Amino acid sequence: MGENDRTITHIGEVERIVDTDFHLTEQQETILPYLEEPFDKVLNVDSGRVRGQVDGGYLGQLYPSAGHLTPTDTGKAESDDIRTPEDVERGMDLMGVDEAILTPGLNLRLGLVHHDELAAAFATAYNNWLLDAILDADRSFYGAMTVAPQEPAKAAEEIERRAGEKSIVAVQIPGGGVTPPLGRERYFPIYEAAERAGLPVMIHNAATGIVGNYPLQWRGTKRYIDVHVPYHPAEQMWHLTTLLTAGVPVRFPDLTFVMQECGIGWIPYFMRRYDNEYAKKSEDAPLLEKTPSEYLDDQFYFTSQPTEGANDPEYLCAVVRLFNGAQNLLFSSDYPHYDFDYSDTLLKALRPEFTDEEIENVYGRNAADVFAL
Amino acid sequence: MEPNEPLHYVAETDELEEGGRLITSIRGREIAVFNRENEYYALANYCVHQGGPACEGRLSGRLTEDERGELVYEDDDEFVCCPWHGWEFNIETGRSLAHPDRYRVPTYETAVRDGKLYVRL
Ligand code: FES
Repeated sequence: MGENDRTITHIGEVERIVDTDFHLTEQQETILPYLEEPFDKVLNVDSGRVRGQVDGGYLGQLYPSAGHLTPTDTGKAESDDIRTPEDVERGMDLMGVDEAILTPGLNLRLGLVHHDELAAAFATAYNNWLLDAILDADRSFYGAMTVAPQEPAKAAEEIERRAGEKSIVAVQIPGGGVTPPLGRERYFPIYEAAERAGLPVMIHNAATGIVGNYPLQWRGTKRYIDVHVPYHPAEQMWHLTTLLTAGVPVRFPDLTFVMQECGIGWIPYFMRRYDNEYAKKSEDAPLLEKTPSEYLDDQFYFTSQPTEGANDPEYLCAVVRLFNGAQNLLFSSDYPHYDFDYSDTLLKALRPEFTDEEIENVYGRNAADVFAL
Repeated sequence: MEPNEPLHYVAETDELEEGGRLITSIRGREIAVFNRENEYYALANYCVHQGGPACEGRLSGRLTEDERGELVYEDDDEFVCCPWHGWEFNIETGRSLAHPDRYRVPTYETAVRDGKLYVRL
């Protein structure tokens, strides 16, 4: 493969496809048996009903919901259940990917759980389940361990506890509804622990997070589309701007971040907007030593799904170039969520412009670097 | 629809009840045939979005607003949803509900002769 060759015509010709956002679909009852004390005794009450539910109780809803009416809820899109290693392999086969980073399902809403200590306990239970029931060092999929942002010190302990596991390759912060934003000092113990463990930090929102961080907007919109279009990138920008302003990439120079699932058009926009404002307000971010967008180029990565504009290659190629996507973009499917991208969607759009080398980077090599696969 | 293409036998008509569907393979292509009020409609079972099995999901109508701004459910079961991402396609025209002029699944002519169902392709 020569440096400037453009020979890849089909997804089957890409050497190594790593899916950097493949979801499990754990439910509350999946992880309840993995709770540790004191919450095991508190919640795993044997009432003869579904675990964690007592008659007349509300325990089935410890993870808040925003009540959105989605294509999954109307049955128009039929989402697969991914709760066993065999489920994972079936989904990976369908998507045509060689390796996958497994990310949570219900626990994307962990940051909204009202009881902080319980949220931390759920993170531990999820990681117990992940390691016990799903991951295996011999398999071609790996885990992002999850932490609860509500309890940064416990999150740091959790990272230390799992850091030695071979099949754990990242720390997942469910960013939806997390307040204050992730640049604030209270979260530094998480970044310190992740840096020490050599694990990248992944930040993934959930549309449901709107009830936590944008309650007025939740009240003011009455359709799911009005939440999903602006809110996903808005919340990522909210976390990201505070990470830069607090100098997190300077404080933790060996830490990398992976921003997930909110499209890619906003990335070049955000970079230029922040740089432009920084020229006039650099005192707001006194720790930065380089142009802010250089930190994004050096320490931040972005997952590809949902690739809006995939039917317009000219647009998509330009956008990907504008944030140096050949180095910073990571292919992701988001399977099995209803808005997943089949693995060739991005390729079809990039193929006219991008070299084989660059395509291999986006589909696997960048991820292999970030997650040390 | 190419009038010169041959008819392909699909099934006996009584094997495809009203409201039902079947999926068959004709000349290497997966074709879905629907029976809606005893009219037969044939569409490619291949989604123009990302290649999913376009005709294997639930049937649906569409939720829309009437002149008074009230929500109404219309065209019950005139659409089939692709189970991958839930795009809806009109089973008669193959056109997508959201982008009827931009996206459509190919449709094929059906014929009934002596209680036998055929698709022209
Ligand atoms: S592949 Fe059919 S809706 Fe996406």
